[in-house]
Amino acid sequence: MTDELWLWLTFILLGLTTTLPRAGFIVAGNRVSLPPTLQRALRYAPAAALAAIVVPDVLVVGGELAPLNPKLAGAIAAVVAASLWRNPWLPFIAGMGVLLALQKLLP
Amino acid sequence: MQLKLLSRLSRGDAPWLQGARAGFVAFLPLSVGLIPWALVVGMAMTSAGFTPAQAMGMNIIVFAGTAQLGTLPLIVDGAPLWLIVATGLALNLRFVIFSAAIAPSFAGIGTPMRWFAGHFLTDGSFACCYEPMRNASDPHWRLGYYLATGLWSWLLWQSFALIGIHAAHLLPKTWSLEFMATIALIVLLVPMAKVRPMLVAALAGGASATLLRNMPLRLGVVTGICVGIAAGFAAEHWQEKKDD
Repeated sequence: MTDELWLWLTFILLGLTTTLPRAGFIVAGNRVSLPPTLQRALRYAPAAALAAIVVPDVLVVGGELAPLNPKLAGAIAAVVAASLWRNPWLPFIAGMGVLLALQKLLP
Repeated sequence: MQLKLLSRLSRGDAPWLQGARAGFVAFLPLSVGLIPWALVVGMAMTSAGFTPAQAMGMNIIVFAGTAQLGTLPLIVDGAPLWLIVATGLALNLRFVIFSAAIAPSFAGIGTPMRWFAGHFLTDGSFACCYEPMRNASDPHWRLGYYLATGLWSWLLWQSFALIGIHAAHLLPKTWSLEFMATIALIVLLVPMAKVRPMLVAALAGGASATLLRNMPLRLGVVTGICVGIAAGFAAEHWQEKKDD
């Protein structure tokens, strides 16, 4: 299988992981419902998944834990901007600004 | 029934059109938040090495920014397909809950339309539609309201992602644009983590994924997600016990 085919297969399967959860209960109507315990547990899936992707990304540089690095500083700036203000652009400006400034200053 | 029909005729507009207008007006200010998000996802896909056709293909087929951004690093790393799909599924699981919550509001609407409508259930449209649809009796009005928000999200999402895909080439590589994707994930995470058990889920998920980063096949991500869910659930129980 070529890389191109593999990529499109990935897109289609990922598309199913979007549309099936979204449409599932709407289509099944009132006939089926999730057990409440499972519903409550599933609420934590997005936060856990987002953190599982973001945290290693900003803490690890070249396979090693690096508690002081420009990406982490940029991430902290973005967290602060997103917590304090509602402007949707500000976390991007703050995070990228800190990252680029530190990359310039620390060669 | 006849009275209702009469008043409908006298007002001129079909109920679905009235619903659509109400939905659009309510959703318009909220929908602005989609713009930076779509731009960033577009730029991230280009930075990951996708051609414009591949990037737009992903954007149209997957149509879920969080799952797109979250799986991009795995796709670039050449992670196994099942892991990419499992990660996408974990990031999309919230839609199962949204779908279950909004399903009763689709009473009186046929199955093919339910499939079509389901595809457009985004975070924003769910947030905007849940209450108004629950409180409206006319299925045409409800469907109009829902589809107005869903289709408008789709249009904004595709247009600004396309701009992002092409804008990425205009900016120099040294600008670390791929970091925009990380920031976008942070922007989604921060409001969630304002609830204590959710913060616990995020901290546990992030910490375990970091510690387990050397697991083969990037299994640390999936393990981290499971640990995070369990930790959040446990924190919720603990909090309830304390409150009792």
